[in-house]
Amino acid sequence: MFPWVDGFHWTVMHVVFLTIFGLVLLTVLATFAWSLFRTASDLRSHRAAEVCWHNNFSQLPEAERHCRHEFSGRVIHRVCPNAFDCQHCDMYEAFAAMPAPALRHNPGVGYSDQLLYHRGHTWVQPNEDGTFAIGLDEFAQHLIGQPDAVKLPRKGSAIQHDGIAWRITKNGREIRVRAPLDGTILATGGPQSPWYLRVKPNGAVDLRHLLQGPEVAGWLESEMDRLQIQLRTPGSEPALADGGMLMPELMEALPGADWDEVLSATFLDA
Amino acid sequence: MSDLAIVDRRFIARGEERSSTLKFALWLTPWIALLAFGLYAAFLCLYYGLNQTNMDNRFAFGLWIFADLSVIAMGAGAFFTGFLVYILKQEELKPVLNSAVVVGLVCYSGAVGVLMVDVGQPLRAWFTFWHPNTHSMLTEVTFCISTYLMILILEYLPVLLRNRQLQKIPSFLVFEHQFHKLVPVLAAVGAFLSFFHQGSLGGLYGVLRGRPFAFREHFAIWPTTFFLFILSAIAVGPSFLLLVVATVETVTGKKLVEESVLRKLGFISGILLGVYVAAKSIDTIVWLNITSPSVGFAPWEYYAYKPFGSAILFSEIVLLGLLPAFLLIFPKTRARRGWLVFAAVLTCGGVLLNRFVLTVQTLALPTLAFDDFLKYIPSWQEVATFGAVVAYGVIVYSLSYRYLPLFGHSKGEDKHVSVG
Amino acid sequence: MSARYGMVIDLDRCTGCGACMVACAAENNVPPLPPRATDRTGLTPMLVHKVNNGVEGAGRREAFIPIACMHCANETPCVSVCPQQAVEVDKATGIVMQIPQRCLGCRYCMTACPYHARYFNWWDPSWPPGMEKTLNPGVATRMRGVVEKCNLCHARLHTAMEKAAAAGKKEIDMADYVPACVEACPTNAIQFGDLANSEDAASQAAHSPDAFRLLARLGTEPKIYYKSRQAWVRALAERSPNGHPTEAQHV
Repeated sequence: MFPWVDGFHWTVMHVVFLTIFGLVLLTVLATFAWSLFRTASDLRSHRAAEVCWHNNFSQLPEAERHCRHEFSGRVIHRVCPNAFDCQHCDMYEAFAAMPAPALRHNPGVGYSDQLLYHRGHTWVQPNEDGTFAIGLDEFAQHLIGQPDAVKLPRKGSAIQHDGIAWRITKNGREIRVRAPLDGTILATGGPQSPWYLRVKPNGAVDLRHLLQGPEVAGWLESEMDRLQIQLRTPGSEPALADGGMLMPELMEALPGADWDEVLSATFLDA
Repeated sequence: MSDLAIVDRRFIARGEERSSTLKFALWLTPWIALLAFGLYAAFLCLYYGLNQTNMDNRFAFGLWIFADLSVIAMGAGAFFTGFLVYILKQEELKPVLNSAVVVGLVCYSGAVGVLMVDVGQPLRAWFTFWHPNTHSMLTEVTFCISTYLMILILEYLPVLLRNRQLQKIPSFLVFEHQFHKLVPVLAAVGAFLSFFHQGSLGGLYGVLRGRPFAFREHFAIWPTTFFLFILSAIAVGPSFLLLVVATVETVTGKKLVEESVLRKLGFISGILLGVYVAAKSIDTIVWLNITSPSVGFAPWEYYAYKPFGSAILFSEIVLLGLLPAFLLIFPKTRARRGWLVFAAVLTCGGVLLNRFVLTVQTLALPTLAFDDFLKYIPSWQEVATFGAVVAYGVIVYSLSYRYLPLFGHSKGEDKHVSVG
Repeated sequence: MSARYGMVIDLDRCTGCGACMVACAAENNVPPLPPRATDRTGLTPMLVHKVNNGVEGAGRREAFIPIACMHCANETPCVSVCPQQAVEVDKATGIVMQIPQRCLGCRYCMTACPYHARYFNWWDPSWPPGMEKTLNPGVATRMRGVVEKCNLCHARLHTAMEKAAAAGKKEIDMADYVPACVEACPTNAIQFGDLANSEDAASQAAHSPDAFRLLARLGTEPKIYYKSRQAWVRALAERSPNGHPTEAQHV
């Protein structure tokens, strides 16, 4: 191919053939390189969390995509088409304007009217100084029990809404807990503290996607129903018992259950 | 569930039903055994030399070349389905696109693997890139197939990255998301390359003026076999894909795609097969009456040797060409799964027979006036090596089916199809 | 120099003794093959075929046809198909050259050759102890997995060229360039010369009315001619028109 290779003669055919081949190769490598470049820029600009979340959401079964307005009774049945992204939902205003019927829910697990809840079972508490405390809700706590290990983000690092905030290890399983909002970590706590993270938000905060008040009860009741079905003895018929309280240390109490399935559904993970 | 089963389950997408870890292991075992045995046979050939085969100076091409050509023809479903979906916008074929990519990857990588054992000096394979001979069809084949294999690997990447655990790595998922947008470009390039190498594989035989049985008239620099191979490849590709999907549905006991998708594949295959049969018939008539006699080779002579009588030609064009074309085109037969699969099998058989005729029969036939008609039976090493390719294909497909979203999600929403 | 070296083989003189085959093997360092090699896996750049006129009984006639590379002059089949240009036609001599170090061993050239003049190294070459003393130092041995064929004893051409250059001459003396098979033939059945030179005896013999080339209708323009006064031998040039090819055995 090169002038010094003995016996090789360049002809028009060679130029044509190798040019076409070169173009093809270039195109293929360019698509690969371009994708790598775009990936790097996405990762740098923190768009990765959004991409990953949309992918996870698309894999959730229909039964785990209840629109939050079901829980407040504003709609009987609606599957969320929007990755739980109430901020960019064109139906949100219409729903929010509707009156909420007075429903009585008895979820069997505790919650607080003062806290705002994320669908991934974390709660958010606004502080007076504009920062937020983030913790794990009672449902998740009773499920997991005492964690074997917790991996918290570093102080000063950023978390993205619907990205991974912290990880909990229990019985050889890693649970990825989702962040309820965007922000920078000011302080970290843990299972022994009243909160897991103290966060400074990025600019103005829109927390409409978080659940609060009576709709939380509706949501937790729906979660309890799901839990009962998922934890039933294999082969038995599904039954939804009313009443009763969720016991703590469930992973210890029921070691043989399909915890991968339960935890994936609870924490909205693959 | 045992610990192993629990870990195994983690790699299977949520909501997907797959057989138990034990059952899957049992399914894989005989294929792994076949693969191991075939790899041993290949090792013998690489270590001791090609005297381990039954090829000789008269049968310079044998089972492996025939197998390579057949497998590449059937793997044409990969590029052609991609072309249909991304360029011709046939969206209803999307559900089988991921399968097509896996089939294509397995076919091409298997063919290249066997080629590396088939040549006398595999380490010199890169010489073709360093000293390309633009007059040789084989140079064209080498360039195109290596690039196309690269494309198939790249197209498989997004499918792989959507594995339940792999997608938890953010950089992988974001890369898949970005790469997925450019897959139509790869599909177009793949179609361009495939057009040329499927054709050049046919051209390999059509240019052999020393073998009038194979030699054909030329259009510019390309013999008619160039175009016939492209036609037969795009005819058999959808049929083979149909067979693969139907087999997977039978083995797993699940309905993986709408019946209309398989019928559409069959219909496309049937139409193209019909065109191919027409073109081949004209080509055969010209060859028998003009091309071959003009160099002193009487055509009926070719079929004077049993068992390769004219029944072979009849089988290739009518029994395994015209007949399945009819079955696939007519709605009544196409609507029944049994007939559809039967017709697809016949189509594959016809293309296999065509590749066999051009490789083995060409070499068996005498050229010099005092030559004999020769026989060749592959050695066990050759058969085992080919068996390894089949086993490799089944294993890769099985693993892909179990751990990757080949057919989208069976729960009905968001059938996210990665590639083309 | 622009010669077109070729041969005219007189089939009426060939006795089928096989001396040309042995001389070729010795000159070209062809290794002895293991016992399980057959006539179809052997390395015989020169191979003598035995032919007959298809008649049984008193009318039977037999002859021998030595076949080596024909050094085809027109659209040489093996040259155009080699993917890595391991085969080339030497413009100065018309010899079809094989480059073993570049050969991949794909054997495409072997399928292209209608004369079956190409042979593959199916085994690693090995010589029994002591036999390495018989090796010809002017010819490189080949490795396993490559194709080889007759190259008109190109090493002897080189020797002739060196001799001519040493004597300050531009053209070689044809007496210095005699391929091994030509030299060994006891009946002088093989005439070797420059077919482009009208004064060359071989060139003149090639124009004789009894001369023919095998499969000339394929259009490859072989440079190995054959000669016979027997019509049935000349008829073997093309595929038999009545569809009953005479059977061949190799010597």
